[in-house]
Amino acid sequence: MKNGFVIFLAAFGVVLTSWCAFVLGPQLQLGGAKQVPVLNSSDVYPLNRPGEAAQGLQIYRANGCAACHTEQVQQDGVACEVVLTSAGKRNPAGVSNLVSTLKLTGLTELEAEAASDKITAAGGKAETHISATGVDISRGWGLRHSVAEDFLYDYPVQLGSVRVGPDLADVGRRLPDANWQMLHLYAPRSTVTGSAMPPFRYLFETKKKVNGESSPDALNFPKGFEPAAGYEVVPTSDAKKLVAYLLSLHADVPLYDAPFTQLSASTNAPAK
Amino acid sequence: MSDETKSCSTPSNPEPAAERSHLPMWIVLVMLTLLYLGGIYFDHHSGWFDKQVYSPYANAAMLESYQPQSGAGAILMQGKKTYEAICGTCHGADGLGKFNQAPALAGSDWVTAKGHNRLAHVPLLGLNGPITINGQQMSFPTGMAAMGAVLSDADLAAVLTYIRSSWGNKAAEVTADDIKAVRASMKTKLPPLTYEQVMALPE
Repeated sequence: MKNGFVIFLAAFGVVLTSWCAFVLGPQLQLGGAKQVPVLNSSDVYPLNRPGEAAQGLQIYRANGCAACHTEQVQQDGVACEVVLTSAGKRNPAGVSNLVSTLKLTGLTELEAEAASDKITAAGGKAETHISATGVDISRGWGLRHSVAEDFLYDYPVQLGSVRVGPDLADVGRRLPDANWQMLHLYAPRSTVTGSAMPPFRYLFETKKKVNGESSPDALNFPKGFEPAAGYEVVPTSDAKKLVAYLLSLHADVPLYDAPFTQLSASTNAPAK
Repeated sequence: MSDETKSCSTPSNPEPAAERSHLPMWIVLVMLTLLYLGGIYFDHHSGWFDKQVYSPYANAAMLESYQPQSGAGAILMQGKKTYEAICGTCHGADGLGKFNQAPALAGSDWVTAKGHNRLAHVPLLGLNGPITINGQQMSFPTGMAAMGAVLSDADLAAVLTYIRSSWGNKAAEVTADDIKAVRASMKTKLPPLTYEQVMALPE
C-alpha cells in the first residue's frame, strides 16, 4: 500500500461530498421549514395534527401501511382555464360570440392571459383558474403535488415508495367518512370490490350487544358483511387513532410552491 | 496451476507494471459533451435548487407566473371566509346582526356609504357607545374591539368588499391600497372610537 494515505483521502473526500449533498444541503434548505400562508387566505398550513391523529401516525407505521401506500402526489403539468364571469353591459352578445370562438381550457399562463385580455377588451370580465394536471391528479388522489410542508409535523415521515394501494396524501378530503374508513380496515372488500388489502380485524372487537342495543361506536355494515345476529363490531382505540390520522391527511390547500385556484373553499382544519 | 507457478517463477517474465500514458483525446471530448448536455439539462430542470420550485415548474419565474390571480370572485371568496371566521360571530353569517351584540350590516348606511373611510376605521380601531344607523339610534353594551387591526390589508379589504356587496348591499369595492391609505392616515393608535368621532372623519 504505497499510496494508502492518498486512497484514504480520496475515499474520505467522496464520502464527505455525498454527505454534504444528501445530508447537509437538505438540512440547510429545509431544516428550518415553518408553517406557510395559504394562498388568498389568512390561514397557515399545515396545522399540527390533533393528539389522536398524531398517535395514529404511529399505528400507521406499526402496521406497515407505508409498504403498500404512498403519501406523495406527483404533478406532471399545470393548466389554465379562462372562465367568463360577466359578459358586461356594453356588448354582451359580442362577448359571448368571442368566447365561443376562443380556446379557453388547457392553456398555458401566457395563452390564458392573452384570452383574458381579449375578453376584457370586448367588455366582459374573465377569471383565470389554475389547476394541476397529471396521472395522480386525474385519479383524484390530490389537487396538487406534495410539498415539504405537507410532512412538517410528521415523524417519521411515511412517504412510502410502492403503490399496491392508492396514494393517501389527501385521503381525508376524498374519503371523509369515518365509518367508511373503519369498514375498509375491518373488511376491505365491503367498501372496495376486489380490494387487495388484507383485513385488519385485530384492530376491532366483536362483542355481544348489551340488551340488544348497539354501542355508539359500532360499525355500520353494508348488506352481506354484518356480524352474527346479536353481535356488533366496535373499533379498538388503535383503530380510532388510525382513522383519525387518515382523516387528518388533507393536502388540499393552495400554497405558493404548489399553486392552484381553489374553487370551493376546502378546510385546512384537521378532521374531527 | 503448474503452468502458472512455472511462469511466475521464470525470471524472464517479471511482474507487469502499469506505465503512464496520455489521456486519449476522445475521452476528453466525450466528457466535455456530457458536461455540456448536463448543463443544458440542469438549466431546464434544476430550478437552481430553489426549495419552492417543484416539478413541473422549471424555475422561480415560471412558478411566480402561475400564482392564481385574485379576480373579483376570488376576493369575495376570501372576504366571505374571513368574515365568517371573525366578524360573523357577532354580526351573523347572514349580516343581520345579533340582538344586544352587534348591528346588522345588511342594508346599513354605514356599510353602503359612498366612501369607505369611516367604515374602514371601525374594524381598525373599534367602536364604543351609542350609534345611529339608518337614522335609528341604538346602543350595544359590549361595543366592538379593533377586530380588523391584525388582518392584512388584503384580507380586510376583502372583508369590506364582501360586506359591501352581499345581502343586497351594493357599494364600490375596497382595495388593499385603500386600507393601506386609511392605516397611514391614522397617525396614532387611538382608543376605540365613538359615534361622534367617526362622523367627524371624512367620508
